[in-house]
Amino acid sequence: MSRAGYELPRSAFHLAVAALLLVGASGRAAGDAARGKELFANCAVCHGASGEGNEKLKAPAIAAMPQWYVEAQLQKFQTGARGAHPDDIEGLRMRPMSMTVKGEANISAVAAFVAALAPVRPAATLSGGDANIGKATYAVCAACHGPAGEGNPALKSPPLTQTQDWYLMAQLTKFKTGVRGTRPEDASGATMRPMALMLADEQAMKNVLAYVRTLAR
Amino acid sequence: MLTRYVEAASSYAQDIDGLITLITVLVGFWFLVAQAVLFGLIFRFRAKQGVKAQYISGEEKSQKRWVTIPHMLVLVCDVFIIVGAVRVWTDVKQTLPPADHTVRIVSQQWAWTFIQPGPDGKLDTEDDIKTIDELHVKEGATYHFQLLSRDVLHSFSVPAFRLKQDAVPGRLITGWFKPTRPGAYDIQCAEICGIGHGIMAARLFVETPEEHQKWMEKLSPVARAPTPQAEAEQENTPPAEGASAGAGAE
Ligand code: HEC
Ligand code: HEC
Ligand SMILES: [Cu+2]
Repeated sequence: MSRAGYELPRSAFHLAVAALLLVGASGRAAGDAARGKELFANCAVCHGASGEGNEKLKAPAIAAMPQWYVEAQLQKFQTGARGAHPDDIEGLRMRPMSMTVKGEANISAVAAFVAALAPVRPAATLSGGDANIGKATYAVCAACHGPAGEGNPALKSPPLTQTQDWYLMAQLTKFKTGVRGTRPEDASGATMRPMALMLADEQAMKNVLAYVRTLAR
Repeated sequence: MLTRYVEAASSYAQDIDGLITLITVLVGFWFLVAQAVLFGLIFRFRAKQGVKAQYISGEEKSQKRWVTIPHMLVLVCDVFIIVGAVRVWTDVKQTLPPADHTVRIVSQQWAWTFIQPGPDGKLDTEDDIKTIDELHVKEGATYHFQLLSRDVLHSFSVPAFRLKQDAVPGRLITGWFKPTRPGAYDIQCAEICGIGHGIMAARLFVETPEEHQKWMEKLSPVARAPTPQAEAEQENTPPAEGASAGAGAE
């Protein structure tokens, strides 16, 4: 057997192994996506088939929320860092749903699926907010949520432009009253809470959210 | 007898088990007798060569006796069951023994909130202790519960107490229980209440008076902090906080 004749099958073998590995890897990625879709069927009941949210159920739009944020929130719901306050009616409803996603791999899979959904631009439901006054207030928020409300993963701040204003309003109220962001293990919630406390009243919240809406367009 | 399968941890658990046993034995006895007669007759009047089938209308006295005599005997058994059932029902549901403590139970989709008085012994004061999906009670004390619902029908079910009570939106339903055995037990929702009904579970901790005192002292100053103990006890422990922080930083 010549040297070349020996080399050929060996490189062919390497090629075959490489091909197998590739197929295996892409198979796994496809598996995760399929798993994410499968898991999301449970979420669609409330958050809608395209993650567009449902006001009657007080479930916000989550479509295109960044993967890191969805993962972090699911973990918070599971550990009780969020949604375990006696007065957090909607959070208490979301919490058992988070428990249906077991283990980090599944959390990532469903979060990746949510992140890949097309973003929605929900219609306004709040009225009476003054975006001009809100703009001044938003200067503070921009430090974390970004000048265009796009969020900032380094500061664990979510985007504010892809979800409903009634939901954002409810969250600001929850942060302010201590229903969200007060648990010792909720570090990122604790950074947001003083910001909500800074908003004097409902009108101030409406103003800043009216400005956030202008960013959404 | 049933305690071999489901622990009994309340003062009336034995009475309810007794009632279930009584019914099972009486009904079981008649069930076996009826099956024996049925199969005996099937065997005796099986198809035989050269014997024609007969149509029996069951109007003759000798035939009717097969129905009337067992019927009378079953009615006699019913009297025992009814007397037993009414006795237990009166004790458990119709009488309200004086309470040592009161706990408010708020059901909602899909969580149980338990509100207990803090050290001052009064509900609706600053030191109330609120816990989510976790109820701590003292062994040997009589509790009144005030059951509420925030949304739809639920049912507060504690198998170890042999207690099950529906929660109806708009109504405050009062009942009682007296825990008799320390331990950790299941609480579940026993009325279909939406997509999360199947996982609307909580834990019940029956504690000795000393343990209970310690728990109360630990919780009452921070009246609003529910303890994550119950989750830690569940099989599928959620990812640790470290994991959450890590995922957030990515
Ligand atoms: C029974 C209805 C219901 C189901 C099912 C449900 N959710 Fe939710 N979800 C809610 C509600 C209500 C909220 C709002 C909680 C609040 O107001 O704090 C929420 C909030 C969230 C949030 C936080 C959004 C934000 O902007 O902070 C995420 C992320 C989320 N859900 C993901 C999921 C995922 C993933 C699933 C499927 C595994 C799921 N939800 C299933 C009702 C539901
Ligand atoms: C110091 C950084 C910081 C600033 C400044 C800040 N936020 Fe936040 N905000 C956060 C973080 C972090 C979260 C996510 C909390 C969590 O992980 O639960 C958040 C969450 C929110 C949410 C909930 C979003 C959701 O999807 O649930 C709203 C609404 C919000 N912020 C509005 C504001 C507004 C309005 C301002 C300005 C008044 C503001 N924030 C200023 C850090 C900040
Ligand atoms: Cu229920």
